Amino acid sequence: MSEFEKLKIVTKYELLKQFRRKRFYGALVLTLLAVILVIALYKGLDIPGKLPISDSPEFFALFVTSAGATIPIFAAVFFAGDSIASEFEHKTGYILFPNPVKRSTLVIGKYIACLTVTALIVILAYVATMIALVGIYQQLPIEVFGSLVLALVYANSVLGIAFLYSSVLKGSMGATIATLLTIMLVFGVIEISLIFANIEPWFMHGYAGDSIASVYGISFAAFGGAMPGGGMERNPNPITSFFVMLGYFIVPFILSIWLVKRREML
Amino acid sequence: MYITKLLTMRESIVIEGLSKYYDGFLALDKLSLKIKKNEDVALLGPNGAGKTTTLKLLCGLLRPSAGTAYINGVNVMEERERAISMVGTILETPEFYPFLTPVETLSYLGRLREMSGRELKSRIEEVIKLVRLEEWAKVKIEKFSRGMKQRLALAQALLHDPPILILDEPALGLDPRGMMEVREILKKARKEKTVFLSSHLITEVVQVCDKVALIDHGHLLVYDSIPRLKRKYRTSLEGVYLKLTEATI
Repeated sequence: MSEFEKLKIVTKYELLKQFRRKRFYGALVLTLLAVILVIALYKGLDIPGKLPISDSPEFFALFVTSAGATIPIFAAVFFAGDSIASEFEHKTGYILFPNPVKRSTLVIGKYIACLTVTALIVILAYVATMIALVGIYQQLPIEVFGSLVLALVYANSVLGIAFLYSSVLKGSMGATIATLLTIMLVFGVIEISLIFANIEPWFMHGYAGDSIASVYGISFAAFGGAMPGGGMERNPNPITSFFVMLGYFIVPFILSIWLVKRREML
Repeated sequence: MYITKLLTMRESIVIEGLSKYYDGFLALDKLSLKIKKNEDVALLGPNGAGKTTTLKLLCGLLRPSAGTAYINGVNVMEERERAISMVGTILETPEFYPFLTPVETLSYLGRLREMSGRELKSRIEEVIKLVRLEEWAKVKIEKFSRGMKQRLALAQALLHDPPILILDEPALGLDPRGMMEVREILKKARKEKTVFLSSHLITEVVQVCDKVALIDHGHLLVYDSIPRLKRKYRTSLEGVYLKLTEATI
């Protein structure tokens, strides 16, 4: 049997595991509620009326999807944080690893399953936004699809980082917290520092993630207020950002495979 | 290289100068052992003697600090997947994915071991019956007691009918009836399989195994057949165990 056949088996059962967990359905419900809340706030507080910009389907989509930009982060961390670490922490690795399958195949299978469930959460958020767009404006801007692709690539990059921590750390909780701290705190601090130093942080994870919103082509100045670093706009190029985010997936994920191959079941 | 392979193929398990350090602590010291085909060997020793470390090294779950091991002539360190395909294992206290049922778990492991279709289905039914989990076959493992998990661990070890069984405390967590049943399963298996198990239960060892390897502090103290050990030390296996590990108690 080829490793590819084994990969299909690992992916199938990893997906089954994910779909059996209550957290998947919890994440679906929370995502839907979050999108509904943002839409309600947008309309209820008349957000466009408070900004120097007129209401439009593009602005609505930008607001809803960028307000929900944390969804890909939480979805990816939620599912990937324990993917590797739990095999060691909960000792299920004693059943899984002594099998004629390469550890790299196991990691890739787990990744595909995590990516699938994460993608389902992200797609649900966008489908809800699209339904709202059609319902409110009777329009569906094409940029929403570009934003969705970038959100998926962004979620994928978070998965890569989460897999890296999950491969290194002993506990699932530690891996989850470390991923969140890295993305939301460490990367955030570096990015803000670079902006203050007047250096465009196009290579930073969060800045590249902003392309989820910048793809709509609406200037961030529309939100009003001065930008840090003397007015530099957060307007990342979507194509550059796509490759930057891909890099944030590829490097940690390859490292993760390497580490899992070397990791001992102590 | 071919001579080494030929020599190691006559035995089911060959351990050559295996050492393992954990952060400077020597857990296993140049252990060498040969287990012939269909031989049943128990690895005995006090807590922390290096029994589990030996079994984990054999299954490729640990990297040795020195030495190597062969399973049916296949170097575990160089061709882990091929070597492990010939082995059924129970290591440490087994844990399973709580959201899957025994049938799903065994299907997953069976598929990874290149079983499929009707063969896999009937074999799953067979091993589930063997370990008496028929009523629990389609219940999520999250509801299982430790003893039930141990039974399932034995089922997965036997699933692909491997020629070699490597078992770490196979009766751990089982009630007296469960222990007896495991012993019966192993007694049947010993006729056609090589069994290498670690245990603290001398009665289990006497009933299931032909030979004993006694280790302590990572050193091999003695490796011989049970009758010969009894004759040599003029006492029961328990007496041999107590005598040889006396200095460490």
